[in-house]
Amino acid sequence: MKLATFKGGVHPDDGKKFTKDKPVQTYLPKGELVFPVSQGIGAPSKPIVKKGDQVLMGQRIAEAGGFVSANIVSSVSGIVKCIEPRLTVSGAKIESIVIENDGNYAPIQGLGQYRNYEIMSKQEILDEVKAAGIVGLGGAGFPTHVKLMPKDPSKIDYIIVNGAECEPYLTSDYRMMLECPEKIVSGLKVMLKLFDGAKGVIAVEENKPVGIKNLEELVKNEDRIEVCPLKTKYPQGGERNLIYAVTGRKINSTKLPADAGCIVDNVDTVIAIHMAVCESTPLMRRIFTVTGNGVNQPGNYNVKIGTSYAELLEASGGLKDGVQKVISGGPMMGMALATADVPVVKTSSALTCLMEDEAAKYAETACIRCGRCAQVCPSRLVPVKMMEAAEQHSMQRFTDIHGMECYECGSCTYICPARRPLTQAFKQMRQAVMAERRKKG
Amino acid sequence: MNGFLNVSSSPHVRSDESTKTIMYDVAIALVPAAAFGIYRFGAYSAAIMLVSIFFAVLSEYMFQSLTNQKVTIADGSALVTGLLLGMNLPPTVPLWIPALGSMFAVLFVKQFFGGLGQNFMNPALAARCFLLISFTGIMGNFAVDGMSGATPLADLAASGKTDLAAAFLGFISGCIGEVSALALLIGGIYLLIRKIITWHIPVCYIVTFVIFEALFAGHGLDIPFLAAQICSGGLMLGAFFMATDYVSSPITENGKILFGILLGILTGVLRTFGATNEGVSYAIILGNLLVPLIERVTMPKAFGFEAGALEGKKPIPIKAYRSVLMLLAITLISGLALGGAYQLTKGRIAEQELAAEAAAYAAVAPDAASFGAAEELETRMTELTAEDGTVADGQFGKVVYDSAYAALDESGSVIGHVVNVTTKEGFGGEISISTGIALDGTVTGVAFLTINETAGLGMRATEPEFYEQFVGKNVESYELTKSAASADNQIEALSGASVTSNAVTNAMNAALYLVQSAEG
Repeated sequence: MKLATFKGGVHPDDGKKFTKDKPVQTYLPKGELVFPVSQGIGAPSKPIVKKGDQVLMGQRIAEAGGFVSANIVSSVSGIVKCIEPRLTVSGAKIESIVIENDGNYAPIQGLGQYRNYEIMSKQEILDEVKAAGIVGLGGAGFPTHVKLMPKDPSKIDYIIVNGAECEPYLTSDYRMMLECPEKIVSGLKVMLKLFDGAKGVIAVEENKPVGIKNLEELVKNEDRIEVCPLKTKYPQGGERNLIYAVTGRKINSTKLPADAGCIVDNVDTVIAIHMAVCESTPLMRRIFTVTGNGVNQPGNYNVKIGTSYAELLEASGGLKDGVQKVISGGPMMGMALATADVPVVKTSSALTCLMEDEAAKYAETACIRCGRCAQVCPSRLVPVKMMEAAEQHSMQRFTDIHGMECYECGSCTYICPARRPLTQAFKQMRQAVMAERRKKG
Repeated sequence: MNGFLNVSSSPHVRSDESTKTIMYDVAIALVPAAAFGIYRFGAYSAAIMLVSIFFAVLSEYMFQSLTNQKVTIADGSALVTGLLLGMNLPPTVPLWIPALGSMFAVLFVKQFFGGLGQNFMNPALAARCFLLISFTGIMGNFAVDGMSGATPLADLAASGKTDLAAAFLGFISGCIGEVSALALLIGGIYLLIRKIITWHIPVCYIVTFVIFEALFAGHGLDIPFLAAQICSGGLMLGAFFMATDYVSSPITENGKILFGILLGILTGVLRTFGATNEGVSYAIILGNLLVPLIERVTMPKAFGFEAGALEGKKPIPIKAYRSVLMLLAITLISGLALGGAYQLTKGRIAEQELAAEAAAYAAVAPDAASFGAAEELETRMTELTAEDGTVADGQFGKVVYDSAYAALDESGSVIGHVVNVTTKEGFGGEISISTGIALDGTVTGVAFLTINETAGLGMRATEPEFYEQFVGKNVESYELTKSAASADNQIEALSGASVTSNAVTNAMNAALYLVQSAEG
């Protein structure tokens, strides 16, 4: 069978061997928990607790600060220690609610209660998703309840569960397919209840055959759900590329998936929907991978949101001597950290620790126009031309050749034999263009 | 837990492939063809390639050192340029040719335009064309001991026949690295497997060329003819190794397809209608110049911007087709203009050559009123020529008898003969001489039909002071001397041009030998 895929892409070393066979362990935090008020796309949330307040596990501590914004829920019980700016993964200090864990994990009333989604109305389901503070856990962090309310719900004919997990080293989605595939299917069924005319597709890269088998077993009697194996290739899980692989429809950056009749959510988001709707449990945890050749005991963890990265490194046996780079996320799109004293947020997924920093290892040389960057670009751009525009600081040229379609997957930089910092230059250009557009309004 | 050392923007991993590994892969892919060239033409061709590589690398090193740039000779790009140029040279060239060519390639074509990645033409090919134009004789001399001189394409043009198996395996004449289609194919497949090149340029190039030849070469679907066209004249070397040069070919897939098609047409036009049988080198450097234009019309549509993309329809980009057709028309017109100019002038050139020859005969046999066939001499010429092309057991070096005529007086009786001899041992390639010999054996005149010697040195052979030495003498053979001539048969060599003097004297002796052996 021909596997669904897209044109372009690269095959970096997938590094999944470190943790793919490590069962998810629940990690209980030792120190304070930090909840930045901004944990995804949209307006920052507004704290509804104050210093000295007693909070319970599952209690809402901040409310959505606008239409595109999400609630934040405490993942432990304890006392609000302070609300102050704290360092986050991006390196910026963000206003955060700090909670001193009392170690009791005392839940709010009704936490974990079973609910039958089939007798719930669409609005009730949406309300639960919104209340649970769910955002897209694949990385962008777009509020899920907003995504589930497109302008014209009748136009949606595909709900795609993104189980590609194409980012090297990450294994949390894969572990979920092994350990609780029924929750993925249940979450998808909840979503399908919202869209009567839609078909559910769980898209998984073929390098996870056991995951595919488990899911296929579960959906064999479901008329509206199918499993779609994908070719293993980075960035197969890029939203636009995934939609194309599954449906043959193409959207650009000016369109939403809903314009092509699609709603895409990643595996962990779908599980969060299941937990919010069927198990009355808001988003309080992340499945988190600590991996790489730079850490002593790589593993997968069920982590309370707000836990410090440093604690997770410790739980994994600490860093090896001479580790060169510690990355929040995977090596293709993750952010290199200067310190591990930052909290796990909703969109955190992994800590990748590398003994060798390939980005620093090679010096840049002259472009030989080999065209590999254009070959691999999943957005069918010509990075070498974009780089010319970037070097001339020409925003006009950059946007003329569709530079804003770049979603910074890093494939061009990965493949470039002259080791040019392409993606890095594009990030700067894109930020400059976006700043310019905001200025103009 | 503070202060990890390395913080940088993503991505944090890189592929293993670098400019250096790519260049060395190309060099490895060239090894079979280069090795076959050495096997076929001998150790001297290895020397040519080594000199070529050495000077390419040296030029790059010197230029970068002198201009205070980072020296990048280790990246292998100069090595590949040098090797490619060496493989594109005939196996007979003097060693200063690869040295000069490599310096031209690296300095003029590459470094002066900004170094690696900035050259607008393939440096090795530009250098080859520079050498072809500047030293036509040397660059056209494919004769190596024991082999017939003509390339299969010259054979094809002359007789319409060539040995296909020999052409495929490489037992033919030609440049060092271009003869074995098989070895080149092995290298090309290696590049494809290693993903150094894609199929687009070579396949489109060769397929278009074949279609063009089938349509316009006048042989129709003559498979042996087409196969011979593919296997020879550097087409394989050009298609797999020269046209695919990253810097001077288009970046995008569609651009590569179009580039291949344009090269196929240009090569076809140049071979079929042009003065040169090979054509590949000129086609590729012309194509190189079209690359910016090709890239302009083949810029790919960004993902999701195609018409009907949202509905999942396959788009038909009408607009792109129009520019592509324009480009094809431009190529065809420029190619035909080149070929046409030759076609127009061809007849006149031939006429003038005939007239020049007639004038030469009149000069070397001044007493003759007209010229007729000399059957006896023609037969003797064939008898003296061995199967491998050697004449008179090689005693006059590499000479061939071209033709012989009888000189007739007004009443039509024979008063002497005119013999045309060509030697391949000139400094600048072939020298063709026409000489008149009276019935008593006296040489009545000498004229040069073809000569490409160095001006001021070997070219002085065409001055009366030198060639008049041969005239009016009745001797068995001439003897070259460095000092002033003391005997009747002695010829004083041109100072500083002993190679030319020797070649001319040998050719004259060959002519005398022919007439004497026919009488005897």
